[in-house]
Amino acid sequence: MNTYTICIFTENTIGLLNRITIIFTRRRINIESLTVSETERKGVSRFTIVIKHESRETVEKLVRQIRRIVEVMAVFGYLNDEIVSNEIALFKIGTPLGSKPLDIEYINKHFNAWVVYWELDYVVIEKTGSEKQIFEFFSYIKPHGILEFVRSGRVAVGRTEKGLVEYLPETEWEYYL
Amino acid sequence: MNPTVSVLTEEKSRADVSAKLLKPLTGSEALMQCLVEEGVSTIFGYPGGAIMPVYDALFDYQNRIHHILVRHEQGAAHAAEGYARSTGRAGVCLVTSGPGATNLVTGIADALIDSTPMVCLVGQVAQKLLGTDAFQETDVIGVTMPITKWNYQITSADEIPEMVAKAFYIAQSGRPGPVVLDITKNAQQELMSRPFVYQKCEKLVSYRPRLVPKTEQVEKAAELINGAKKPYMLVGHGVLIAQAQAELKALVEKTGIPVATTLLGQSAFPADHPLYTGWLGMHGSYGSNVMTNQCDLIIGVGMRFDDRVTGNAELFARQAKVVHIEIDPAEIDKIIKADAPVVGDAREVLSRLLPLVNANDHTAWRNEFKKYDAVEQEKVIQPALAPTTEKIKMAEAIDLLSRKTNGEAVLVADVGQHQMMASAYYQYKRPHSLITSGGLGTMGFALPAAFGAKVGAPDREVIAIIGDGCFQMTIQELGTIAQSKLPVKIIILNNNYLGMVRQWQQLFFDRRYSFVELQNPDFITIGRGFGVAGHTCAKREDLSASLDTLLASQEPYLLEILVEKEENVFPMVPAGTSVADIRLE
Repeated sequence: MNTYTICIFTENTIGLLNRITIIFTRRRINIESLTVSETERKGVSRFTIVIKHESRETVEKLVRQIRRIVEVMAVFGYLNDEIVSNEIALFKIGTPLGSKPLDIEYINKHFNAWVVYWELDYVVIEKTGSEKQIFEFFSYIKPHGILEFVRSGRVAVGRTEKGLVEYLPETEWEYYL
Repeated sequence: MNPTVSVLTEEKSRADVSAKLLKPLTGSEALMQCLVEEGVSTIFGYPGGAIMPVYDALFDYQNRIHHILVRHEQGAAHAAEGYARSTGRAGVCLVTSGPGATNLVTGIADALIDSTPMVCLVGQVAQKLLGTDAFQETDVIGVTMPITKWNYQITSADEIPEMVAKAFYIAQSGRPGPVVLDITKNAQQELMSRPFVYQKCEKLVSYRPRLVPKTEQVEKAAELINGAKKPYMLVGHGVLIAQAQAELKALVEKTGIPVATTLLGQSAFPADHPLYTGWLGMHGSYGSNVMTNQCDLIIGVGMRFDDRVTGNAELFARQAKVVHIEIDPAEIDKIIKADAPVVGDAREVLSRLLPLVNANDHTAWRNEFKKYDAVEQEKVIQPALAPTTEKIKMAEAIDLLSRKTNGEAVLVADVGQHQMMASAYYQYKRPHSLITSGGLGTMGFALPAAFGAKVGAPDREVIAIIGDGCFQMTIQELGTIAQSKLPVKIIILNNNYLGMVRQWQQLFFDRRYSFVELQNPDFITIGRGFGVAGHTCAKREDLSASLDTLLASQEPYLLEILVEKEENVFPMVPAGTSVADIRLE
């Protein structure tokens, strides 16, 4: 099983997410994570979808079928070593009286994780990093009692000199930057 | 009617419409005007609550847009497909929300898989009611998303011109397909806030089908063609869509490459041409199928290596290199890996290939097909055409029809044994002459598709070939045919069975005939009830005269031919096996 990160650039229209996920559903491919946001170009959305699959060929066919959707401008499929990627996770840890004290300094130094909010009975810790790093921290913090844990989908950029938007069809784009 | 009066009425109607354009239009009027701008002359539809404002506007446009009232929305969809397949232009359906829209679904799915341009205009409840489970509300966008090339919900009158233009462009360009516009009732009723201006859509940022191929891809393909000793060309629907028949003929005549067609590629190449080997597929001709596993180069043009063509794809043409000429990049390497993919419109690609390929005639290679043809003649074709059975065989009926019409009619075949016979035994001489549901295999397709095709090709003889099972799936469209007085000729090949399923049960399920025998109504009486004349032909000696009556009729006509009950279609490549395992009996 390889992990593939698929970046899809689309027009920002209603229902497109559904049209894209249908292509995964038809081939019975599970989506591990999915994030969508607008890019630096106005009206262009970027989907980052992570899947696991053993066959590169199948992923290539999938990419071509996604490209066929009318509102899709470009699709790129990557293996892990072709991208720089990150995720963000939030951990809500209970801190009732008498609980095991949290070593915040150790958490900062060893895990690059930060307390972003605290109340009397709990703290919220933010951890950014790869899936692996997030789960390492998860193992460390688990004995403290995790009240809630949430992980974002992966965001990724390609390890190339050019921005992916450079590959979009030529037209008069409006920029945010 | 006095012709002068008719012209005057039409002029008055045009003047009325022009005067109207100066005032702000309602969404419905704008929609009508869009159809006129797109050159739509006929639409197929069925009114209902959520589309009534559009039907009201249509009342003023009936001199310019001919509306055919079907008896079920599925009929509208298939009629639009028939129209599109005979003209190359998008067929248009107009239906209401909820059940009106869901009844289109089979036809939309059929159009998608057979690359047929279609624009479905669907009513929807008013915007403020969306999502409230209002009367006749269905999430049409959600339902049709996997089966459309594109769909869009219009919620304001101002969007109509732009989105209709986009719909026609997307449906008709690149690899054609169905699109759905879901138009809320408020968008149909409200006035546009700006003057109506229609601009045809010619380009979209995110959708740019490649028509002109990359030069290096064409050169690579030419190199493989020039180097091949046993090249073989497999031609699909894409050639007809691209209107590339002349380019195809020029290329194969120069190179001497034998040509086979897929089911939907039938009639892209004349059946009486010496380079034509027959058709491919589960019931295709013997030599055409077997030789895919003996050639050294396959040149697929505008086809997608469907499983009915390849049999077991892992055993298909493993010895051969593959040139794949196709407009849809998603088809490249999908089933069969291409050594030289060429992405582009078939006509653009073939015309660029022509100067790059060497003249050749491949006589020895072409002769290799002949021994298979001889075997098929002896074992399959001759017994089918000169039968000793008491009852008529489907093959002889189609063969006689082919000779009587000189191979020049348009056949609209339904799905099953009769479809395979219509493909195998009719000698197609003109393009766009076999209209049938290939990819989806939709029973009930032929009757509505036939009158759609007749609207599109009024000067051609259009003959529907239908089985007794299929006929009962859309039998109500006899009413549409009678009312619109379209001289469609209908042949029912009646064996009182769901014949193809019965054949499979005989061959692969130990003759356990599970629910395939039909107790049929009297089709001729039913036809008469609808106002369509007809008769039954039960004996071989009446067949010729019966076909003459059918062909001579100036009106719609229904000919029921009682055929052999347990006739089987051969050759046959059993599902999941290699084409080399083709059976002749």
